[in-house]
Amino acid sequence: MSILIAYPKGRLGDELMKLLVDTPLALDATAMKSRVLRIPTATPEVQALLLKGSDLPRYVAAGVAALGIVGSDTLDELDMDLLELADLEFGACRMSLCVPQGTTLEELRNRPHLRLATKFQRSTEAWLAKEGLTAELVPLSSSVELAPLLGLADGIVDLVQTGGTLKAHGLVEIALLGRSSARLVAARGAYLSEPHKIKPLAEILIKALKHQD
Amino acid sequence: MPVRTPHFPDLLFRAAGRLRRWETALMTLLEQAGCREMHPSMVMRDPVPEGALRFFDGEDLVALRWDFTVALAGVVTRRFPEPPGRISYAGPVFRRPVQPWEAVERFEVGCEFIQNGAEANGESDLELARLLMAVPGAIGLKNAIIHLGNAALVRRPMEAEQLSPEQTKAVVSALSRRAPHRVLQVLEGHPAAERLTAHAQALVSELGGAEALKALDASPYADLLKDDRRHMEQALRSLLPILPPNLELRLDLADVEGLDFYTGPTLRLWAPGAQQELASGGRYDGLYPELGKPWQAAGFCVRISRLLDLAETRPDLFEQP
Repeated sequence: MSILIAYPKGRLGDELMKLLVDTPLALDATAMKSRVLRIPTATPEVQALLLKGSDLPRYVAAGVAALGIVGSDTLDELDMDLLELADLEFGACRMSLCVPQGTTLEELRNRPHLRLATKFQRSTEAWLAKEGLTAELVPLSSSVELAPLLGLADGIVDLVQTGGTLKAHGLVEIALLGRSSARLVAARGAYLSEPHKIKPLAEILIKALKHQD
Repeated sequence: MPVRTPHFPDLLFRAAGRLRRWETALMTLLEQAGCREMHPSMVMRDPVPEGALRFFDGEDLVALRWDFTVALAGVVTRRFPEPPGRISYAGPVFRRPVQPWEAVERFEVGCEFIQNGAEANGESDLELARLLMAVPGAIGLKNAIIHLGNAALVRRPMEAEQLSPEQTKAVVSALSRRAPHRVLQVLEGHPAAERLTAHAQALVSELGGAEALKALDASPYADLLKDDRRHMEQALRSLLPILPPNLELRLDLADVEGLDFYTGPTLRLWAPGAQQELASGGRYDGLYPELGKPWQAAGFCVRISRLLDLAETRPDLFEQP
């Protein structure tokens, strides 16, 4: 029976694919160009799924994929029952509260009705509780930085890697909510019942991916 | 691949037959081990937690039986002046699942050894482990793995470092994920953050036979845990020679599931490729003192519903009747 590893699509996936080149778990380039669902890797009997980051933890928690790589921001947001075997340290970014240039945290605190747009409601709620603030959360799934510019929200909570997107939209970071990086996750059942099958693959990924930044 | 089970499953023909057969086989096994059957009421009137199936009986909020151990504890503390010894149970419990594919109504068979504090010793833990070792054979599970753990390996260092309840909860959550890097994160600024992270790394580093205990050498709390380590070594020496064929025994030092309940040795039954443990148990000496009785207790529960799901998805793991 083959083992499935879930790799993320998107920004994190792009970084990951570069790091996987020439490793035993690199993806078959020809299969990647096709529409094949299970992509062969350089290791026989190990195949990969390419999944959207927000869906990936569900596949691993359900045991469909034995291992996966996903950002810690997504893990914290979904809080699924899975194992988090390593902080792979790549894909590092900050989760920040960002506002139009010139706005301060003190001004936000004094607003009678604060609205924050975010993909990360759980993390934002936790931060608001810690700060003793209340706010209306505006759930958005993409282009969150547009919300303050168009009057949908006073600020945003989003991931910031270089700050280039923020700068282009006239936004600045005024509070750090946390840090995110790629994590190696495993299905609880697969790892605990068959560690001799899963652990060696996890070790290959850790060796290939950690300390590469 | 796991199947999404209806939350209130109707068991038809083959599955219904398996349920009847496995309940009978396991209750016979437990009876042969000296357990007397108890059948607590399906309705629990004590304060009930979130996740139980609650309803009003007149003006009283009650719940369907959500946990056998709690239901039995209520019965025996009310009815027995002395601990009842070995008891067994079988039937359904109802509670909201952690995993979305698990049913609300689930069938369980289990046993409990309840003793006066002065009578309790390590022998009853070993006997419980031996009894669990007989479970795969009784239900025709061809290959199985038993994980031995000990709640004290995590509990003692946290108590020694005087972690707050919130910090304790966060460390347990990190260890449950097998994520030592999260321990460092959640204890940021605490003087014991690095020590407890090193301990967590030692606990998660091995999952295997007797050699796994050597991982404790790397823990800053190795001295504090030397008695617990000795007990685990003794358990292995007693159990390995009598291990049935097709059953593997592993030490899982980072087992923290139910850490707020278990106080000593823990047991988990797995099958190769199973998504969840098929039975779990251990020592929980805090339960009866909380209810005003100076008794100690240990037990395990076989998750029959998970076994039924496994038999559908992995029939190759079971002997055909």
